[in-house]
Amino acid sequence: MAGRITTSMVQRNILRDLNSISDKLTKTQLKASSNKEITRPSDDPFNAARAMALRSDMEATIQHQRNAEDAVGWQEATEQALGNITESLQRARDLVTQGGSDGADQTSRESIAAELKQVLEGIKQSANATYRGAHVFAGAKTSTAPYVPGADDTFHGDRAGLDPAIPPLVREIGPGVSVAINVVGEEMLGNGDGTDGKLLSVLRDAIDHLESGDGNALRTDDLRGLDANLETILEIRARNGARSNRLDSAIDRLGQVEDSTRAQLSGVEDADIAKTLIELNSQSAAYQAALRSGASIVQSSLMDFLR
Amino acid sequence: MAISSFYGLQTSLRGLLAQQRLIDTTGHNIANANTAGYSRQEAVLQASPALVIPAGGVASGASAQLGSGVDVQSFRRVRDGFVDLQFRAQNTAMNEWTAQSEALDRAELALAEPGENGINNELTKFWKSWADLASSATEPAAKQAVIEQAQSLAGAFGTVRAQIELSQQQSYAEYQDLTRPAGPGDPGGEVAQISSELAALNDTIRRYVQVGDQPNDLLDRRDLLVDKLSGYGQVSVTHSGNGSIDVSFVDTATSGTTYPVVAGSESKWTGPPTSWSPGGRLGGLLKAADPTTGSLRGYLDDIDGIAASIKTVVNATYGTFFETGPGPAGATLRVTQDLLDDPRQLDPGTGNEGSNDIAMAVAALRDHPDIDRAYRSFVAKVGAQVASANRQSENQQVLTDAVDNRRQSVAGVSLDEEMTNLVRFQRGYQASARAMSTMDEMLDVLINRTGRVGL
Repeated sequence: MAGRITTSMVQRNILRDLNSISDKLTKTQLKASSNKEITRPSDDPFNAARAMALRSDMEATIQHQRNAEDAVGWQEATEQALGNITESLQRARDLVTQGGSDGADQTSRESIAAELKQVLEGIKQSANATYRGAHVFAGAKTSTAPYVPGADDTFHGDRAGLDPAIPPLVREIGPGVSVAINVVGEEMLGNGDGTDGKLLSVLRDAIDHLESGDGNALRTDDLRGLDANLETILEIRARNGARSNRLDSAIDRLGQVEDSTRAQLSGVEDADIAKTLIELNSQSAAYQAALRSGASIVQSSLMDFLR
Repeated sequence: MAISSFYGLQTSLRGLLAQQRLIDTTGHNIANANTAGYSRQEAVLQASPALVIPAGGVASGASAQLGSGVDVQSFRRVRDGFVDLQFRAQNTAMNEWTAQSEALDRAELALAEPGENGINNELTKFWKSWADLASSATEPAAKQAVIEQAQSLAGAFGTVRAQIELSQQQSYAEYQDLTRPAGPGDPGGEVAQISSELAALNDTIRRYVQVGDQPNDLLDRRDLLVDKLSGYGQVSVTHSGNGSIDVSFVDTATSGTTYPVVAGSESKWTGPPTSWSPGGRLGGLLKAADPTTGSLRGYLDDIDGIAASIKTVVNATYGTFFETGPGPAGATLRVTQDLLDDPRQLDPGTGNEGSNDIAMAVAALRDHPDIDRAYRSFVAKVGAQVASANRQSENQQVLTDAVDNRRQSVAGVSLDEEMTNLVRFQRGYQASARAMSTMDEMLDVLINRTGRVGL
């Protein structure tokens, strides 16, 4: 560079330096006030895209958690109904045993039959359990009660999940991982056609036998039928319990995934406060130094010293 | 040979006059210290032709020459034409990147990424609304939410696309305005105006140069105009010898193709060719905003491509959910009118009302390679291009400043230097005046006191 330094060069250089420092200062200030390392894609294109991906991942994880919690709620409603049905079934077994004994006369058998009818109604009522307005045992026909009170034992839901042709009700609890949540009422209570050996048919038979005084049938077929149904229901409850466990552990795992995604996102996106503040301080010191030195250089001139 | 007694008076007078011109020039420099494009001037002094004393005039008997003072030869502007060339080359490159960085910057702002208001977040919320529908398949509110969120997503695409398109149109309009040729009653755009000003200056300068003048200030103005033109595109300047210059834009892609701007005293600018790469601001604007090949056009195509994928991918899973057209997909993406009219028609499953397999399948489309991931890589692309344009324009700014400093170092006015000169020239003037009064005293002795012996 040539030795001549002209007035406009000095002024322009000072101005350019001031601009460049104040530009940096503004950026650091934005970083400090927004607490974000990346405020625009051009700040760091690769990490901006990564932050966007992580943000989507986190939302998906939160959604999966919500799905899993919803599934747990559904399982709990199911389990409670199954518990009620089990109790009713045990009561029914007691009643049938009582009615099937030789000591029971027709009058007491009829009164037992009347109570058994109430138990049957109770079972149907339990099977109409709902979770958030949806009938949990009705398959996909969630707005229809699967059973109606009275003599009609027909199953009014559909066989979602039981029939391979109809997809079950599922909740997605992870990317590509979904859990079927529903138990079809027909699987344990039957369709009331009298021949399927399911709970409602067995109970209807038992009521008939009580009314007709067929103690032998009560003692053999009916008791065996009830025991078989108890097996079925316990099996379903076991299945349900295993599902709940799986959901619980999924929720735990999703919580961990969310935490780690959040940590990664923060690492990519958030500003390092200590670093940013130190930068801010040193830049503002540099800015003031530039202002001060600029002011003293711009003002002085040979004219101040010539008489 | 006798030398006139008054000879020395003339010599001093020359000195006085020359010092006055020097002070005049200094005053001119100081007055123009802040004039753009001004190059400092200096008076070139030369000793005036000596008085020849014929042979025998001095003791040795030889002839001799007696100095006769000083003459102002010319007023010269101090400027380095080579640094001008360097400056213009850097200025062209700087303006090309700055124009691109400004145009792309607006597109980047329109994306509003990463943040709560960008398309990425709308996409996330859209998939989420399907997942919510899968959990409550029979709830009308969940269906309504899916439709609303889909419309909001489509709206985000429309807004972003419109902003990018606006940026493209604004930048292209600026290009067209800058390059508009002059017409009857219309001085034309910036380039046409510079062109006609250059032509007029060429004419005037040529006339001065023909009679041997050096029109310094007009030359400065002409150089300033060429500097300005170099910001718009790469220029080449040819001196035609009679003082006028021919200026053309030079294509940066096909080396050697030139587009004349001015030739002699004639403006040659008739508007831009249909396809060219002039570099400079014009080239930068074209690279960013050309309606068929510009980067912003590419961004619009990317947005349209992603919007079209959303329609294709979601419809492939759901059936008819989104529709587009007529017009670009990004601007016209929307939920079908039937679903808008009656959101309860939205079918979350293939089976009875509680079945949710379709909603599940749509929700599982999240992070789709043609949608979310394509959008993210689009954002990364825009970010990288803006970052590169910013970096390049900053680098070029530094280079241009450096060259301009070098130029200022030669041609700029330094007030300290002018003050020193002022002192120097004033002293010179004082000394010349003193020499003259010495002569005067001498002549006084000769005229008024000689021959008065004994009076």
